[in-house]
Amino acid sequence: MKIDPELCIACEACLPYCPMAAISMKGDVATIDVDECVECGVCFRAGVCPVDAFVEEVHEWPRSVRAAFSNPLTVHKETRVPGRGTEEAKTTDVTGRFKRGFVGITAEMGRPGVGVRFYDVEKVAQAMAKMGVEFAHDNPVTFLMVDKSTGKLKSEILNEKACSAMIESITTVENIPAVIKALREAAAQIETVFTLTISTKLEADGSALCEKPLKKLNVPLYLNGKVNVGLGRPLFKEES
Amino acid sequence: MTHTLHRRGTRESLSEDYVMLCLPAVGVNNEGHAPKLKKFLEIATKYDPVNIGTIKLGNMYSHSKEEVVKAAEAVVHAVFVNQGQVADVLKDLEKADLGMSVVVSGIFEKVDECLKKAGLKHHTANFSLGIWGKTERLPSNEILEVTTMCGHAMVAANLVREMVKEIKAGTKTPEDAAKVLAPQCACGIFNPARAAKLMAAMAAK
Repeated sequence: MKIDPELCIACEACLPYCPMAAISMKGDVATIDVDECVECGVCFRAGVCPVDAFVEEVHEWPRSVRAAFSNPLTVHKETRVPGRGTEEAKTTDVTGRFKRGFVGITAEMGRPGVGVRFYDVEKVAQAMAKMGVEFAHDNPVTFLMVDKSTGKLKSEILNEKACSAMIESITTVENIPAVIKALREAAAQIETVFTLTISTKLEADGSALCEKPLKKLNVPLYLNGKVNVGLGRPLFKEES
Repeated sequence: MTHTLHRRGTRESLSEDYVMLCLPAVGVNNEGHAPKLKKFLEIATKYDPVNIGTIKLGNMYSHSKEEVVKAAEAVVHAVFVNQGQVADVLKDLEKADLGMSVVVSGIFEKVDECLKKAGLKHHTANFSLGIWGKTERLPSNEILEVTTMCGHAMVAANLVREMVKEIKAGTKTPEDAAKVLAPQCACGIFNPARAAKLMAAMAAK
């Protein structure tokens, strides 16, 4: 994204709209810090510029990765899903993605609203890989890995920045303590934040097998979350 | 894609925040899915949602409700402020038998009560384990309560601060300020009614 300096009238209306706070006044012109801009397109779509000074650019690889991860209107070529991740638990009633005894563990790097460089995505992915998780094959971050067994990402994207990027994995309930320990260590080594999600099929009584190990690890579950209500068809039947 | 998870807030405030989404599974039942998602939005709009949206177009604060319903594709969303609405929509969806996956976000025990009323059962859950890492880089909790209602983080913390200033100055009502924030969240999962209450409380300090 860029602002045409010839058109800008220095009204400053656009400044608060940037989720990364990457727009500032340089003299009499609003300017975008291109290194901090994640190409999310909010400033452009907001339509607040009275003189249409915003110019949405199409970028070549590797900068193109910024819009792919930050602009929710972009559909990833590989996953065919808009946004940053996969359908995960949302369609597991028909896909059977999360089977009994397994959980999805997702670290959404940069969320909420801080942003992330891919070198930090790599640090956390590598920490998870060491604990033997299986990365979701249809996730956009997985597509950026040169080695899925180590979590190593393509070197040319490491300094690129995104609004957020989801590392999605599946592992066994028994492996939760090891993954949590690795994530605690990795969290201390990064310059951003991440939200952590556990996805699981629920037992008949509504409980989840992951609750006990998480309690033991002093990891609290928030009071609110997402529930797939099982209306998808054909319903996935898990073999016993 | 956990965009309706990780909404922050108190129990009281989150009791007025329910997001429903409907989508097909790519490669399983996505053929001919658009009319089914359109039907979902038609059902949802019967119960007075505070927002609806479809990722391919936007939400009811950037387009008319009719335009959003017509453009239903890929993933659609509706936001409600009470359990009665959610239970009623679920009952209608059960009867409509669309075959699409439906997800409800909210306080777990309250969502469970809605499911019971509709004669449905939970299948899978996404639990939030919170925010990890350099949390000192986050804005205040009260700002986060508003910004996390857009899971793609398209509602800027600075824009919320700006709106609170305007409410304080009397140049905008909380409701009008919420209408400035809502269009930024293209999916339509932002809850403007809750945002208005939260910003009014911030401005009153």
